[in-house]
Amino acid sequence: MLLSLAFSALLLLVTIKAGLGNSFLKNGDWRTSESIGAADADVIVRAVVAIGGLLASTREDSMYYTISSVAGEPLNLDCRYRIEGGDYDANWWSITAYGWDYFLIPNEQKRYSFNNDNINRGEDGRWVIHVSATEENGNWLPVGPSGAPASEKSTHHDFDLLLRLYTPGEAYLQNPGSAPLPVVTQEGCS
Amino acid sequence: MSWLRWIAAILVCGWLGQYALAMLVPHLVMERLYQKFAEARAPNQMNLTPRPDENSRWVVRPSPDLLYASCLYNLEQGPVVISAPVPERYWSMQFYQMNTDNFAGISNQREQRFRVGTRVEVTLIGPDADPAEYSGEVIQSPTTRGVMLLRASGIGDASQSQAAIAGSRCAPL
Repeated sequence: MLLSLAFSALLLLVTIKAGLGNSFLKNGDWRTSESIGAADADVIVRAVVAIGGLLASTREDSMYYTISSVAGEPLNLDCRYRIEGGDYDANWWSITAYGWDYFLIPNEQKRYSFNNDNINRGEDGRWVIHVSATEENGNWLPVGPSGAPASEKSTHHDFDLLLRLYTPGEAYLQNPGSAPLPVVTQEGCS
Repeated sequence: MSWLRWIAAILVCGWLGQYALAMLVPHLVMERLYQKFAEARAPNQMNLTPRPDENSRWVVRPSPDLLYASCLYNLEQGPVVISAPVPERYWSMQFYQMNTDNFAGISNQREQRFRVGTRVEVTLIGPDADPAEYSGEVIQSPTTRGVMLLRASGIGDASQSQAAIAGSRCAPL
């Protein structure tokens, strides 16, 4: 009995550690679910959301896409990342960096996100965000150690990014796995 | 061969057990949140939250682009009334039951744009109450306790959203 319980806990821990894993939809390296916050969410989605996205809204209100690895490599504080995008079919959008502890990352600039209103764009309306621990020109989204003690870290990634699309359009509601999203690439590591 | 049967039984029970444990997780997380909130503030009151930053550690993944207010509700003694002015920019009032489901919500988006500039007044009733006994906008919570969360866009000029959040109320009927 105890062995079964321990095995159950271990399996669940692995699933939750994987975060938005097999129960979720993939769109490139981004992950989402159509049933976040909804009554029809399966038990695994509901458990993962309770831990890493408590009080999330259902998709008609907002859709959430997270990315914790790029091309199979977990997001790492020693690397620099580039997010490139434009505008999306939604009332508004934001991209926020969170520590592995799911909270905003302490930084001197007090900058935790960019949104469609405060981002600097090129003449064609497109934009680039640089995500790194060291200062960059342009739209720099600083990352660094999470607020929780490092001894509690149990994820492979040091931080993740969350794209929120408020009042998403039909493309996201009907085809969340293929709708247009920003592209995240790794620019280099130290 | 009996030890093989035992191992198989442990693996099968363990596999099935993860789903039973997963079903418990949302209830435990929500209960912990409810107790944490309740220690700071009594239920059935509006709680205005400062704009999120790195020190905001009440609920995971706070958005720095949103203004929040919440009401931890307990309908044991009867309904509560939640009222809030509706600003022009994105605004929503979402209701969560104790298994974390977002069981109801209203907003100023899509077909609900008519709410902009009005004051929403919702009577939130418990699972055993009769909605027919109440007038106006009535929402029935599947659980006696839960959380109502107000979100308003904090991007750009947020003065209207700030006023809307500050003018929101939650109180027993």
